[in-house]
Amino acid sequence: MKPTPIKPTPIRPGSALAAEFWEQGRSASCPVINIHAHPGPVYSGYMPNCRPADMVRELRKVGGRLMCVAPHSALFAPEIGNAEAESIVEEFPQEIRAYMTINPQYPELMLRDLAGFDKKRHIYVGFKLLPDYHRVRLSDRRYQAVFEFADERGLPVISHTYANSPYNGEAEVEKVVARYSGLKFIMAHCLKANWRAAAAIARQYPHAYLDLTAVSGQWGAVDYLCTHAGSEKMLFGTDSPWYGLHQAIGQLLSADITDDDIHNILHRNAERLLNLTDSEG
Amino acid sequence: MRFFDVNCFIGLPTVAIQKPVKTAGELLERMDRAGIEKALVWHVCQRDYAVAEGNRLLAEAIAPHKDCLTGCWAVLPNQWGELPPPQEFCEQMVKANVKALRVFPGMHNFLLRQETLGPMLEVMVKRRIPLILPITGEVGWPAAFDLLRTYPKLRCILSNVNTCGTERQYAPLLAGYSHVYLEMSEFILDGGIEAVTARFGAEKLLFGTGFPRRGHGGAMLALQHAAISAAEKAAIAAGNLETLLNWE
Ligand SMILES: [Zn+2]
Repeated sequence: MKPTPIKPTPIRPGSALAAEFWEQGRSASCPVINIHAHPGPVYSGYMPNCRPADMVRELRKVGGRLMCVAPHSALFAPEIGNAEAESIVEEFPQEIRAYMTINPQYPELMLRDLAGFDKKRHIYVGFKLLPDYHRVRLSDRRYQAVFEFADERGLPVISHTYANSPYNGEAEVEKVVARYSGLKFIMAHCLKANWRAAAAIARQYPHAYLDLTAVSGQWGAVDYLCTHAGSEKMLFGTDSPWYGLHQAIGQLLSADITDDDIHNILHRNAERLLNLTDSEG
Repeated sequence: MRFFDVNCFIGLPTVAIQKPVKTAGELLERMDRAGIEKALVWHVCQRDYAVAEGNRLLAEAIAPHKDCLTGCWAVLPNQWGELPPPQEFCEQMVKANVKALRVFPGMHNFLLRQETLGPMLEVMVKRRIPLILPITGEVGWPAAFDLLRTYPKLRCILSNVNTCGTERQYAPLLAGYSHVYLEMSEFILDGGIEAVTARFGAEKLLFGTGFPRRGHGGAMLALQHAAISAAEKAAIAAGNLETLLNWE
């Protein structure tokens, strides 16, 4: 009797990890951590999955363990500020942690929030900065208080980064990572699309990390960053509810890197960065 | 699931991308690896170099692969006779296994409207030939709206529709015209497949990857696990496009 030919796994033939994601939508050995998400509605477009409960449902679908969020309200409505972030984490303490969003346009609100941070470590994992939108340069002295705060405590700071931006471009990012080596600086969007500069910074500075949000879709970018910075410096993010989790994982599975690299990106590095114990894989 | 990719290209772009795919053979190798059965393919020289030359290069490249590669040519206004007249152009399409057209009004410096492309568009409406509109950086939304107002029966595929706040742009076109379709290569909205299917119907979505600028896996895995029926998935993955290209 002839053996039944093994059906090759779509997207990434020969990969057990891809086979699991293809068949079940998730992998038992890969508890995904999404380090970049924004619950709630936002001015720019319609987002069907923007409620926190929808986002948690989507995270569970991919076998996700955790997502770190900065609600749109914290990014764009200073009068609401971080209040919604706190209530969302309290509603979903298993699956959600928040970044404290800093809008240096309002220094008094920033100082008030910073003063409360240490008592809310069960809610916050670090800070979220959005310089392009808040129109303040990373090197502006108004950001200094948060960098010093994070630096003393070794906390993650995730910042929007884009190539050629006067607020969060290559030069601004480099100034911050060169000055503060105690904090962990996460380059959201990897200085899109200056992969070369992003990889160089991540390689040079041990405390600089690459967040693949809106990057993994560019075929070849993940391979480049992996070769030039190493998969140990790369983190998985999706900007959910903007972009879907399965499409982002599918793009990662399309990269010409190893399954081990994909494990690093999808969960292992974030587990280390966020000091999550009892790693499941 | 059988996949038929509505949006991929071959050739070396003037401005390099990370991992270009130069030949039809290389494209087929990557499609095979990913598990994609067929593709509607264009040649980057159609956009970056010269339309007629690019169309010829594409026809040559796909000729040996008729069972899995279908062509998509670019088209121009014809006031200067740069391309054969519409009927003759269509006959050449049929011979070359080219089943759809696309336009690059940005790069190619023309207005996409009746005064420029009218005779060709009238033939396309009559023969049900689909037109692919690369929205981002080429056609833009106002031109797409104006075109459909003039040619409401034109089969149009909205392509390269990125997800940074375009939901309010494409929705009126999907709602208002029965022959407008959305291709998925840059449509990566969280819950987007389910939302478009529920509101406008699965017949409005076409599987596309944007390969090799984008990878194959994103649209594939998103569709595989979308919360819609198996029949709807099959239609989006291949069926809708097969129907659209069957105009001869
Ligand atoms: Zn973001």
